[in-house]
Amino acid sequence: MRTAVLLGFRLRQEVLEWSGAWWFLLTLVVQAVVAPLIGLFVWSAVYPDDPSIGRYYVAVILVTLMTESFEQHTFSERIYDGTLSHELLRPQPVVIGVIGMNLAIRAWLTLLGAPIVLLAGIALQVGFDWSAVLRSTPYVALAAVLVFLWTFLLALTAFWTDRVHAIVGFGGQLTFLLGGTAAPIALLPDTWRRVAEVLPFYGMNGLPAEIASGGKGSLGYQLVWVVVLVAVVTVVWRIGVRRYTAVGS
Amino acid sequence: MKLLRLVGVGFSMALRRSVAFRVNLLFDVLLAFTGLGTAVAAVLIVFTRADSLAGWSKAEFLVLIGTYQLITGLRATFIDPNLSWFPETGIRNGKLDGYLLQPASSLFLASLSLSSPLALIQFVLGLGVLGWGIAGQSLSVAGVLSWLVLVVAGLVVTWALSVLLACLAFWAPKLQLDVFFHSAWQLGRYPTDVFARPIRVILTYVFPMALIASVPSAALLRGPRLGVLVGGVLAAVAAAGLAGLAWQRGLRRYTGATS
Repeated sequence: MRTAVLLGFRLRQEVLEWSGAWWFLLTLVVQAVVAPLIGLFVWSAVYPDDPSIGRYYVAVILVTLMTESFEQHTFSERIYDGTLSHELLRPQPVVIGVIGMNLAIRAWLTLLGAPIVLLAGIALQVGFDWSAVLRSTPYVALAAVLVFLWTFLLALTAFWTDRVHAIVGFGGQLTFLLGGTAAPIALLPDTWRRVAEVLPFYGMNGLPAEIASGGKGSLGYQLVWVVVLVAVVTVVWRIGVRRYTAVGS
Repeated sequence: MKLLRLVGVGFSMALRRSVAFRVNLLFDVLLAFTGLGTAVAAVLIVFTRADSLAGWSKAEFLVLIGTYQLITGLRATFIDPNLSWFPETGIRNGKLDGYLLQPASSLFLASLSLSSPLALIQFVLGLGVLGWGIAGQSLSVAGVLSWLVLVVAGLVVTWALSVLLACLAFWAPKLQLDVFFHSAWQLGRYPTDVFARPIRVILTYVFPMALIASVPSAALLRGPRLGVLVGGVLAAVAAAGLAGLAWQRGLRRYTGATS
């Protein structure tokens, strides 16, 4: 309960802090929507008469906005400049601050990106089955958790290397290719598709978008990856903090 | 000549600094490989489902990606280290004050004096993909020459766009458009014919990403067209002139980081 209250306070604080940076947030929205928009145009050119492509990619844009994570900036930089020490001294888990900022940025991105999603939907005359959209809610929530855990895990490598942006960039490339942004995974070659269905990236992006556009999928697959990533993040965090030496100590 | 010598000295120093950190070198090489691999894979997936995309075959697409990567590599090597996050690093942190006191053109110092030699890996990989794409294609000498001219024009436009974005900081120091620029840059990896008409018009005339890869690749593969060649050169001259003018106007407004 105390953790939830602390998280609530942190979320409110971060939402207010980021409200002054709306122009920068808008550039982040553009960054988030470019890759799915390219996918949309490319696959619409390949299948010009298939309305499911438009529906799928509009859903991918929304899912991407709702699940974006920037822990390589918000958390790793605190390791590099030593301000993580302040967080470690507070009588609360460090991750509360990280999650608070993550949720605040996502809320702003979703709000600022909503017009783009609407515009794309109207321009492509995309129709959604609202029961499918409702059914996709838990999938989107788990996708948000998965993306956060994956990015946070990669961001934790800042304890060992100063090339965290390269590492997170590599993680982003995997998500782009195998998560359903470069292509809906049903359109991948067989071997790639089988690999993509097992790895966690599909659960971060493509799966919730497919459910929202009327497809089927398993929550169990996402839950298994959440458990795995939570375990790995916990272990890596403990080893990393032991290694951490504050700047100026 | 003096400016070229300055670029050479800066590059040499940056190279020595870079190779001192071998793990970073390894990371940059790996990321360049995976980045380009991801771009090529995304296109190859499309060609498992179609023979051509917006009139471009697989080999032609590889030429396009190679050209795009080539210019991206040069941008990352010579332009980004200077102009990325300029409002923060150049204006608010006062680096520009230092440039203004030095005995060389401030525009040159602010936009081309630093370099990131490891990013040239992207350039080399781009050449590889370009070679893969043109293998087996019959190219004309005129096509190759016009490709070269248009690539140089694309580079000049890239530099000018970066300078123009940086110049915005003189009027609005808190406006940070780097993320936006890098996002829009990704659109250059695809032929403009793929996009809807409004975006196509923007990418050709307003924010000329078409000039980065689409136009030079088309000239290489389908032969030169005088109108396109002249248009590309004029666009480069106009963009460079505009960048120089904006820089001068901006400097007139600038009163120092601490004033």
